[in-house]
Amino acid sequence: MIVLDKVDKVFPGSNIPAVKQVSFQVDEGNICVFVGPSGCGKTTILRMINRLIEPTSGDIYIKGKKVSDKGLNPDHLRREIGYVIQQIGLLPHRTVEQNVALVPYLLKWPEENIKPRVRELLDMVGLDPDEVAQKYPFQLSGGMMQRVGVARALAADPPIMLMDEPFGAVDPIVRGRLQDEFLRLQKEMKKTICFVTHDINEAIKMGDHIVIMNKGELVQHGTPMEILSEPANSFVKDLIGTEREIKLLELTKSGEIVNKKAEIPETVRQKDCFISVIDPVQRALETMMKKDSDLVGVRDKDQEIGTISWNDIKKLINKLSGDA
Amino acid sequence: MIFASSILQWAGNIYEKYFGFVDFIIRRSERVVEYTANHFSLVITVMFFSLILWISVGLLISRYEKLANTAFGIGNILFVIPSISLFGIFITIPMLGLGRTSAALALILYAMMPMVRNVYRGIKSVEWPIIEAGRGMGMSPKQILFQIQIPIAWPIIFAGIRVTTVMITGIATVATFIGERNLGRFIHHGIARESADMIIAGAVLVSVIAILLDYILGKVEYKITSPGLRKEQEQS
Amino acid sequence: MDFEMERFISALIDRSPPHALVHLQLVLIPVIVAFLIAFPVAVLLTRRRFMRYTDRVMTFFNMGQTIPPLAIIAVFFPFLGLGMEPALFALTIYALLPIARNTLAGLKGVPQEVKEAARGIGMSEWEMLMRVEIPLSMPVVMAGIKISVVLTSGTAALGALVGAGGMGAVIFAGIDFFRAELIIAGTLVIGAIAIVLDRILSVIDNKLTPPHMKM
Ligand SMILES: Nc1ncnc2c1ncn2[C@@H]1O[C@H](COP(=O)(O)OP(=O)(O)OP(=O)(O)O)[C@@H](O)[C@H]1O
Ligand SMILES: [Mg+2]
Repeated sequence: MIVLDKVDKVFPGSNIPAVKQVSFQVDEGNICVFVGPSGCGKTTILRMINRLIEPTSGDIYIKGKKVSDKGLNPDHLRREIGYVIQQIGLLPHRTVEQNVALVPYLLKWPEENIKPRVRELLDMVGLDPDEVAQKYPFQLSGGMMQRVGVARALAADPPIMLMDEPFGAVDPIVRGRLQDEFLRLQKEMKKTICFVTHDINEAIKMGDHIVIMNKGELVQHGTPMEILSEPANSFVKDLIGTEREIKLLELTKSGEIVNKKAEIPETVRQKDCFISVIDPVQRALETMMKKDSDLVGVRDKDQEIGTISWNDIKKLINKLSGDA
Repeated sequence: MIFASSILQWAGNIYEKYFGFVDFIIRRSERVVEYTANHFSLVITVMFFSLILWISVGLLISRYEKLANTAFGIGNILFVIPSISLFGIFITIPMLGLGRTSAALALILYAMMPMVRNVYRGIKSVEWPIIEAGRGMGMSPKQILFQIQIPIAWPIIFAGIRVTTVMITGIATVATFIGERNLGRFIHHGIARESADMIIAGAVLVSVIAILLDYILGKVEYKITSPGLRKEQEQS
Repeated sequence: MDFEMERFISALIDRSPPHALVHLQLVLIPVIVAFLIAFPVAVLLTRRRFMRYTDRVMTFFNMGQTIPPLAIIAVFFPFLGLGMEPALFALTIYALLPIARNTLAGLKGVPQEVKEAARGIGMSEWEMLMRVEIPLSMPVVMAGIKISVVLTSGTAALGALVGAGGMGAVIFAGIDFFRAELIIAGTLVIGAIAIVLDRILSVIDNKLTPPHMKM
């Protein structure tokens, strides 16, 4: 869906490239997360994708079409791409409602479709439309503004979204909720999303695909699992940090290690020590500790399909960390 | 009784001495109306052309940074020239001579500095993430100018219009020396005839008009400012 | 515009100097007096005891600035008669406003943290005023004085109307006889006075501004 081919960007007046020979591909319906330290070129990549700036060299394709095609009006291109900018950038002279309705207005939607859409969107990002629709940006908290920014980007239901640290200004608890909510929505929306974050945990949670950047260069890309289990170098290892194993347990579904032949002992039933196949292995571990058992039963919907033992988890950890 | 009448007499003296101009204004109300009308028609003409000209120049220099310094340089020089000189210089230009055209041209030049500066400041006050957001949402440069930059700059631009209008109303009085028949004329002739009432009448009239104008435009300024841009006022 | 160089030069060299001297007085005296009045008043108004009057006084000052210069110049004439006095009086009032406004703005602009810090190291109110607030607000105050000088040197041209003389006399003569040479000569001298005073103030400003605040 989105392809970057050997893209370079050197800003005028600077001799160090902000982005150097970056190539990758984002598949349709996927979330691709860009992680890396400040100044590594994440925002620059997003801005090149929607042509706010032009690459110095290299090509960018969206749906197989070169974005730099003469026939393509960049303003029209951008109306098809939702953009959540890092600094939020709400229009201070317009109400929340008018801010969210910006792109639908530009696309000349009929008036009567816009209002309900705005309400729907505010609801979606967890804001009460009755409360905030008529407020002005300065009356909102940073986190609320950010959510309005996300709603604005989603307004015209663009197939592609560029989200630059969209949950950066909210506290960890709300951030977790927003991430969950967003992933739930994404299951239905199936948008192609480029998502920037500083936070490796957010990257692992949100990403189908992760691109790790450093000083303008692409260091490693792959699924979260690939990145966690096979960090390319010490930079990626440091980025992942210390709780790598736990992150891996969060990423592995119980279904992947369930012991299907095993009988479920009576004690497990008595303690109601069950999890679902789609729960992460992390959940199995938590349940064991809570229920003081070294075995959990695994269910698929209502059916009991097997067990996971403490030893199975240990084996998994050994396998995952052994690879590194 | 004697006491009361002496107070009355004292009050009468005070009135005659300091408020004789009220009598004057009433007595010469026709003139007052004529001069006031002339005064305003000049101010309105000047503001009409100033708005078109100086707002355009302000927008231009906020886009072409290099022109800004030149424009401010010219504006500063114009501002140092005493109003009476500017009027005087225009009347010695043969095509113009005494009269309204000279007066209007001089005043339009005077309007340059406050107008252009405020338009420039206003446009520059729009922070770049807001522009970036506009571009990112797919607004064309024209839409960004008319839907983002000008609306956000508008309170500052209007403040410039207000200051300029009041200033032009004041300086227009000086145009009486190049033949304008406006409120400055009471002061001008008052001095020539050493008539205190006439001078004070003129001074009070123009001052009251200027202060009123400033007050009214201040109210308008508040009205037209988007509540979203009114933070400071609301919070204090 | 018919322009005779000879007449222009004679206006500049023969006619202007005595008027220029008067004009200089019409600028310097009002600005200095205005400073001596406005500065202490503004300092007083920013003391905690009078703080709540600041806004009202500001409104008053702003209103004062909307009064047309010609009106101010003229209005003292009936009471003080012909001569320099009515002009000096009016110009002083006119010069007051920018200085007072900028002094207030400058003093108010001293960051709260800086004042807290000064109090923290045990400075008295007086020491804080003399060693922190006034030095820090000096650039803004100087800017106000400069505005005042420019405004006053222009407005002083109207002083000739009430018999104060000054360069206005040359300019009004030019208007009465349609002589551009006189008007331009008069204007140039006024411009020169304004620029020279501005330069001098810049030098003083440079001396007074704490080094780290220089741009
Ligand atoms: N308009 C610009 N002009 C010049 N240099 C720029 C410009 N925008 C970005 N840069 C430089 O390009 C590099 C990459 O910037 P970029 O904004 O893409 O970083 P980032 O990864 O988004 O950082 P952050 O996480 O802090 O947002 C930086 O060194 C930055 O200074
Ligand atoms: Mg960034």
